[in-house]
Amino acid sequence: MSLQIDDVRFSYGKHLVLDGVSLEVAEGTFCALLGPNGSGKSTLTKVVAGVHRPASGRVSFGGVDVLGLGRRSHARLIGYVPQSGEVPFDLTVREAVLLGRTPHFGIGPGRSDWAKVDEAIALLGLGELEDRSLSELSGGQAQRALVARALAQDTRVLLLDEPTSALDLRYQIETLQLVRQITRSHGITALIAIHDLNHAGRFCDQAVLLHRGRIQRAGTPQEAFDEAALAAIYGLDVTVEEREGYVEVRPVVREIEYQI
Amino acid sequence: MTTSIAAERDAGTPSPSGGAPAPRADRLRRRTGAWRPLALGAGAVASAIAIVVAVGIGTAGITPGDVWRAIVLAIFGGTLHGDFAQAYSIVTELRLPRTLLAFGAGAALSVAGALMQGLLRNPLVSPFTLGVSPAAAFGAALAITLAGAQTVPAWVVILSALGMALAVSAFVLSLATAKKMAVATLLLLGIAVTQLFEALTSALQFAANENTLQAIVRWTFGSVNDATWSDVQVVWVVLVLALPLVLWFAKDLNAIAFAGDDAAKSLGVNVGALRVGLIVVAVLLASVVVSFCGVIGFVGLVGPHIARLVIGADHRYLLPFSVLTGGLLLLLADTVGRTVLAPAVIPVGIVVAFIGAPIFINLILTRKTALR
Repeated sequence: MSLQIDDVRFSYGKHLVLDGVSLEVAEGTFCALLGPNGSGKSTLTKVVAGVHRPASGRVSFGGVDVLGLGRRSHARLIGYVPQSGEVPFDLTVREAVLLGRTPHFGIGPGRSDWAKVDEAIALLGLGELEDRSLSELSGGQAQRALVARALAQDTRVLLLDEPTSALDLRYQIETLQLVRQITRSHGITALIAIHDLNHAGRFCDQAVLLHRGRIQRAGTPQEAFDEAALAAIYGLDVTVEEREGYVEVRPVVREIEYQI
Repeated sequence: MTTSIAAERDAGTPSPSGGAPAPRADRLRRRTGAWRPLALGAGAVASAIAIVVAVGIGTAGITPGDVWRAIVLAIFGGTLHGDFAQAYSIVTELRLPRTLLAFGAGAALSVAGALMQGLLRNPLVSPFTLGVSPAAAFGAALAITLAGAQTVPAWVVILSALGMALAVSAFVLSLATAKKMAVATLLLLGIAVTQLFEALTSALQFAANENTLQAIVRWTFGSVNDATWSDVQVVWVVLVLALPLVLWFAKDLNAIAFAGDDAAKSLGVNVGALRVGLIVVAVLLASVVVSFCGVIGFVGLVGPHIARLVIGADHRYLLPFSVLTGGLLLLLADTVGRTVLAPAVIPVGIVVAFIGAPIFINLILTRKTALR
C-alpha cells in the first residue's frame, strides 16, 4: 500500500510548477519534500491532496487511482493540513476538529464521528482547550487543532504543507514528533513540505529534494543530502555532517567585506 | 512538593488522559450541542407568538383572542357574526399579510446574509454586497420613469426590479466565474456594480419631475405598507423552498467558511460549484424581498450576527436561527414603525436600524468573547 506519484505535471497559467515528478512513498513512511521557495513542494502536496488537478500524471495509493476517485472518497483516503490561517468566525476547537468528519457524515455527525473527534483531541492533548475559541489559541495550539482535524478525518495518507513555519522551536519539534509518532502507531503515510533540512534529517525517513519542479535527489536523508547537490539547488555552499546518527546541514557563511 | 509543582508546570503540555467517565458522559450532551435544537424550537415558538401578538397591536383595539379566533375562522371556516366581521377583515386583510410579509422578508434577508458571510468568509458582507439592491432600485425607478404621468401597476415595478436584480447578479457571477470565483474579485465587482447602479438611479432622479421623483424615492425606503396575500405567498414560498436546500449543504458551507477553500476541497467539498450555487440562492432570496418591499438594509448584515452570538457559528444551526432573528427583527421594527407615530406609518426600512443597532451594540458589549 504505497503512495505512488507518477510523472505529475502542473502549471499555474503558463508557469510550469511541477515538471514530471515521480515518487514512491512506502506505507507508514514519513517523507519530507524539500527545496527552495517556488520549487513546487507545496504545489505537490496540494495536487496529492486534491486541491489542484494536475495537467497530466498519475497519483495512486495501493494501486487505486487517487485522482479518479470521487471528492468524498478521496477525502476519506487522504487528509491535508494547510498552513495555519485566519478563521473569520468564532469557532471552538471541538467544532474545528469536527470539520475533519465532513466527508464521513450526511447532514449531521453521528456517535462514531464524535468518537473520532474525541480520539483526535485526546491524541493531540487538546482536551483542556476543546471548548475554547480558536481565536484564543496560540500559534502552536492552533496548528495542533489543524492536525487533530486531519486525524479525525481518519485517512491513510496525511499531507502537511509547511506546518511548522509559523511555530517556535518547541512547537516545531512537537509537531514533527507527533506526525512521526502517528506514522509509527497508525501506519499512516505522511508527506510534509518543509523548509528546515535539519528537522527533515532528524524526523523523516525519506527526503526528496525538489528544484524548479523536478526531483533532484531522493532517498534517506543521508543519501539525499549531498553537499554538491544542495549547493546547486540553494545556490549556497553547505557542509553536511553526521551527528549522533542524523545528518546535519550547515551553510558556509563567508563574511562580506565592504570596501569603503 | 517539587513534583507537584513540576506537574502544575506541565499542565499545559499534551496529556492524553481524559476526564473521569461520569462527568464526561454528562458533558457530552452539552458538547454535542443538544441544547441547540431546543434553542431553535424555543425560537420558533417565540416567533409564532410574536406574530400573533404583533397582529393584535394597533389602533383598532383588537385583542390577541380576536386574532386567534380570526385565524381559526380563516383556516377552518365557520360562521362570521356581525360584530366580529370588522375585526376579522382587519386581521385577515390588513394586519396578517403585513406581519407575515415583514417576518418573511426579514427572515429571507437574514438567511441570505448568513449564506453570503459564510461563502465569502467575510462577516462584513450582506446579501446586497453583489449589487442586488441598487440594481433592483434602478429597475423600479426605470419602470416608474417610463410610465411617466400614468400610474404604473405595482406588479410592473416589481417585475422590473426583480429582473434587473437577477440580471445584474448573473452578470457579476459570470464575470467572477471567469476569474475562478475568487472572493476579492466578487467583492470588487459588487462594489463596482453598486456604484454604477446608484449613479444610474441618481441620473433618473435628476431628470425626473416632482411626482416621479417622489415615487422613486418612496420605493427605496422599503416598507410592507401595501402588503397583499400574493406578496406574502411569493416571499414565503421562496423562503420555504430555499431552507431545506441550504440546510442540506450547511456542513459543506462550514468547511468553506471555517477551513478555507483549499482545505474544504481536501475535505471533499466541490468549492466552486457550491459557492456559485448558494450565492444564486442568496441573491434570489434578496432580490425577491427587495422587489416586493423595496430596500430594507441592515437585517441582512445584523440578523446573522445576532444569530451567531446566540447559537454559534455552525451553519447547521446558524442558518435556521438566522431566519428567526431576521424575521423577529423586522417584525419588531414594523410594529414599532406603525404604532409609535400612529396613525402615521414609518416605513420599516427606516425603523429597522433604529431598533436593530441598539440590540446589536448591546449584544457585542455584553458578550464575553470578541465578535469576529
